[in-house]
Amino acid sequence: MSLATHELRKAFGGVTALDGATVDFHPGKVNALIGPNGSGKTTYFNCVTGMIKPDSGRVTYKDRDLTGKAPHRIARAGLGRTFQLCRTFPRMTALENVLAAVPHGGLRSFRTRSDIERAMSWLTRLGIEHLARSEARDMSWGQQKLLELAGVLMAEPETVLLDEPAGGVNPALLDRIGTLIRELNAEGRTFVIVEHNMDLVMSISDHIVVFDRGRPIAEGPPSVIRSDERVLGAYLGV
Amino acid sequence: MPNASKRILVGTAIALLAAAILVFPSLAPNPYILSSGVLVLNYAVLATSWNFVGGFTGYISLGHGALAGLGGYATGLLVVKAGLPSFAALAVAALLVAALAVPLGMAALRVRGASFVIVSIALVLILLLVFQSWASFTGGSRGLVVPRPFDLSRPEHHRVFYYLFAVLLAIAVLAWWLIDRSRFGLGLKSIREDEDKAEALGTPTFAYKLIVFVVSAGFTALAGGLYALWFGDLDPVFQFSILTGSYLVLMALLGGVRNLFGPVAGAILVGTALEYFKVEYGDTPLHLVATGVLLALVVLFMPDGVLPAIGDLLKRLDRTKKSSIREVTAAELAEQRKAAV
Ligand SMILES: Nc1ncnc2c1ncn2[C@@H]1O[C@H](COP(=O)(O)OP(=O)(O)O)[C@@H](O)[C@H]1O
Ligand SMILES: [Mg+2]
Repeated sequence: MSLATHELRKAFGGVTALDGATVDFHPGKVNALIGPNGSGKTTYFNCVTGMIKPDSGRVTYKDRDLTGKAPHRIARAGLGRTFQLCRTFPRMTALENVLAAVPHGGLRSFRTRSDIERAMSWLTRLGIEHLARSEARDMSWGQQKLLELAGVLMAEPETVLLDEPAGGVNPALLDRIGTLIRELNAEGRTFVIVEHNMDLVMSISDHIVVFDRGRPIAEGPPSVIRSDERVLGAYLGV
Repeated sequence: MPNASKRILVGTAIALLAAAILVFPSLAPNPYILSSGVLVLNYAVLATSWNFVGGFTGYISLGHGALAGLGGYATGLLVVKAGLPSFAALAVAALLVAALAVPLGMAALRVRGASFVIVSIALVLILLLVFQSWASFTGGSRGLVVPRPFDLSRPEHHRVFYYLFAVLLAIAVLAWWLIDRSRFGLGLKSIREDEDKAEALGTPTFAYKLIVFVVSAGFTALAGGLYALWFGDLDPVFQFSILTGSYLVLMALLGGVRNLFGPVAGAILVGTALEYFKVEYGDTPLHLVATGVLLALVVLFMPDGVLPAIGDLLKRLDRTKKSSIREVTAAELAEQRKAAV
């Protein structure tokens, strides 16, 4: 068993964002989490990664209870995440952005050769090594999304949560991100991806969980989800 | 600019600054000017100490004046009431304030942005009240007289303390530099840029903030304690003043918080201006108005500080130089191509 939640609940004032979400993601697979806007997907990620505390319910990862743990502890347990609206460190260079993800070692210099080589290899793999010395704030939206991903990967998470990786990127980049996710998955990383682009979701996912009003209403492989009536209903309001 | 020549430029600038600081006492025409020099160096240490928190984490504290005041009073009281030798008292005082900074930081660093600024102001006001009303211990508003550590003439006394402050400044700058190039420092800077993001990448942000706050408080207390030994007379109104904290913020912002020598440069600029105004106009509310106006101007027009603004200008000049070089190369290339055909 890998990442799982049991009866996760979270309300903001009168708005119930998560309404007893019990989900079990498939280890070693590309999982997708889809659902209409406002169905609680981002809130779900925030509860899982400790950014907000759920009102009740449990988060477990590899049989460890992570509920209510500090986000940095959850990150160090092997869960990496990106944010829906891409977040980088604007006034730090791309290289520093990636280096900021290495486990810290006190007063040792952060510019050790092995760390820099590893950081550069992630930047290279994402195709932005030529921007290593540019500050993140001077980079384009697409480049910043790649940079955020490079930083998350630098921490070597076993499970990666991506919140709308294709949001606002051009078709060429979309292709590259899709290929990259499949490659990284083949190397052994588990993915959970929140995404609205159905072509991307259907082409890269092994397992899909559909959210509606804060709880899963269907799950299964793409072939099943594509023709599920409840999914069509939730999305199209039929 | 190639890396080597940039390094030479920076090295030269640092050497010049150090030389200027070291020869100043010999050039000072009278003890009064020399004592102004001591004050400016005191400000330089305080602003650099402030910058451990402000520059690395982006938390703007207006309360550092109070930490310096605590250092001063702790040093003074340890000498007067406990009979410790002056410099032993100074060291113990710094440790005490650093220890006190742990609960203070745990309370204050829970909130961010404007809320943190307000909490830091509250700290100053509370301490002012305590030290004013607990007169039997602190001397209250009558003040606390701290005996001088050396039996020296007035100019010599200033000179010795001038160099003591210079040594403290060197240590503080060195410590800031060490953190700046460390993994710990990179973690702190990522907190400044986006605290939640830093947490999500695995940085224990709260512990990091607390550690650097304690370091900052320790250096601030050392500066405050050294001031007490130098000046010899403490009054809560001046020791626990929001104005002091505002000066430090102004100095660091003016010089540039992301720059090793930014706060020092800002302290020299603002400190000199403050001393000049005091001589010309005496102690008037003008200080307050001038501080407010300057702070607003810097935040509005040079949020990155004066030094960084100059740096940007140099970079821009450099770029125009480079592009003209590139034009030459392009022309040469065309010629080469022609020659090849
Ligand atoms: N911080 C917040 N404060 C108040 N309401 C929120 C907050 N975050 C999310 N919500 C609400 O919770 C619901 C779920 O939001 P969200 O998790 O962002 O959905 P999704 O990511 O699926 O679009 C929405 O109604 C949203 O308005
Ligand atoms: Mg969302």
